[in-house]
Amino acid sequence: MALINYFIHLAVLIGIYAIFTVGLNIAVGFTGLLNLGHVGFFGIGAYTSALLALAGVPLWIAIPAAAIVAGISGLVLALPTARLKGDYLALAALGFTFIVGSVARNWTDLTRGPLGLPGIPRVVASTPLFLVIVVVLTVIIALAVHYLMKTRFGRTLQAIRDDELAAATLGYNTFLHKVIAMGISACIAGIAGALFAHYISFIDPSVFGIGDLILVLSMLIVGGLASIPGSIAGATIILLIPEPLRFIGFPSSLIGPMREILFALILLIIIIYRPKGILGKVDLQ
Amino acid sequence: MSSLAAQLITNGIIAGAIYALVASGFSLIYNVTKFMNFAHGATLALGAYFMFAFVSGHVPFWAAIILTLIATVIAGEVVNRVVYKPLRKRKASTAVLLIGSLSAMIFVNAIILAIWGADIKTIQLPWQNPVLNIGGVLITGVQVTIIMVAAVLLLGLWLLMKRSRLGIAMRAVMNNKEVAQTVGIDPERMYSITFALSSALAAVAGILIGIEQNLHPTMGTALVIKGFTGAVVGGMVSVPGAIMGSLILGLAENIGIWWLPSGYKDAIAFALLFIFLLVRPQGLFGKKTREA
Repeated sequence: MALINYFIHLAVLIGIYAIFTVGLNIAVGFTGLLNLGHVGFFGIGAYTSALLALAGVPLWIAIPAAAIVAGISGLVLALPTARLKGDYLALAALGFTFIVGSVARNWTDLTRGPLGLPGIPRVVASTPLFLVIVVVLTVIIALAVHYLMKTRFGRTLQAIRDDELAAATLGYNTFLHKVIAMGISACIAGIAGALFAHYISFIDPSVFGIGDLILVLSMLIVGGLASIPGSIAGATIILLIPEPLRFIGFPSSLIGPMREILFALILLIIIIYRPKGILGKVDLQ
Repeated sequence: MSSLAAQLITNGIIAGAIYALVASGFSLIYNVTKFMNFAHGATLALGAYFMFAFVSGHVPFWAAIILTLIATVIAGEVVNRVVYKPLRKRKASTAVLLIGSLSAMIFVNAIILAIWGADIKTIQLPWQNPVLNIGGVLITGVQVTIIMVAAVLLLGLWLLMKRSRLGIAMRAVMNNKEVAQTVGIDPERMYSITFALSSALAAVAGILIGIEQNLHPTMGTALVIKGFTGAVVGGMVSVPGAIMGSLILGLAENIGIWWLPSGYKDAIAFALLFIFLLVRPQGLFGKKTREA
């Protein structure tokens, strides 16, 4: 029975991270914006929803509010950075994550700082039921993004990724498209963050950690850019790979670093030898 | 000027010198290879931990410094060979190189965590760190050393890049790799030299920062962001500019806490980064280019 619960727990996490990765795919895979601030939006979503819920706001308001706050943060970050060249944008976005994390650590009156927020209400008490909700949400978000990318708006994003100058020459407002793409991407990250908070029931400033960034980047790049099934496959593979470490009697203090070493190695191997990932449509540019 | 203001400005110069130590190596790599080597922070942390390991292994202090320099340069070169060379070979973009460097950074951080653990370490100085009182302003001997080393680096790197044959060859590779090749410069050799030099700078920074502050496995991440910010403020395309920018960043952070709680130093740095990216992406000392 314990084993079943363990697999259900893993499946819930896979669902949450699949949503997280699909969100990142909008920015990186479809629009070509190397957004390293994605973890920041996840954290903003987690903290917003958790704080609202702890203040007594019902979850059906708290979670959408988290999505909106994260989405707005995405727009705000994109306004000054969307014009920047790839790696400038990447580092500015990473700096953003870093600062949001520092605010979460320092604004102790609101966030309790490094102590974190315990006792966040769960969406439902039963984990199997939670799994059903996460799966349904994953499917809805994956399909929504899939169809969004087939619309005129989505195709424009992909045109910007492939040749921004050409898209601009054809009269598309590439800046506006990039800003909106970042907003949607951040909004989905916020949903994933809120679900995470309401599943684990505890968050602390480590949700802004750089370890999670490498996790979601590996999921995206291993799965493949601009592929929604790829993102889901990537989240599944990356979360399952380190799990055997638990069963072969690995010292528990080394599991954390070993996981990160594994993710970093997988990411390096993919970008060196197979930049398309497993199901990717485009090479990592 | 009150002594508090003088102290804040002094603290700003100390912080600025620390960021300059980080920014110098970071910006050197950017200037020759044109990508942002995030792993520079991890190289720096590795340098600090090497120093810690040698000193706690009772290696004499000066020998420990030399061993740390050698070990860090080797580690930097290994990362260059194993990660960046294959990526350059398949003509990966700078964004992909950035992801590669991020992976390398996580990798090195995790190795440090696995070997030395998560608890904070300190490097024991063989002598007492003197505290000087200059007209009411307090500054330690280590801090004076950091400022002096940063100043020497500023001058040394400026001379290297502008005046020496090596620097000219490096800048040739940066400007146009193909043309540089036709006049007999081997870009891969230049990249190796650049990484060696940058890793040595990381080791110097790691040793000094390790002595001044404490060691923890992810210490390099915060520092490389500050180094990057300093480089953006000063102008990414010039190593001396990056060092000057770091000084300005350190001053801004420390003078800013005159008005704001000290926990918000990072937020001041971030605001500065955003203002520059928005208004003057080429930095204070950089020339306007189409890329920035």
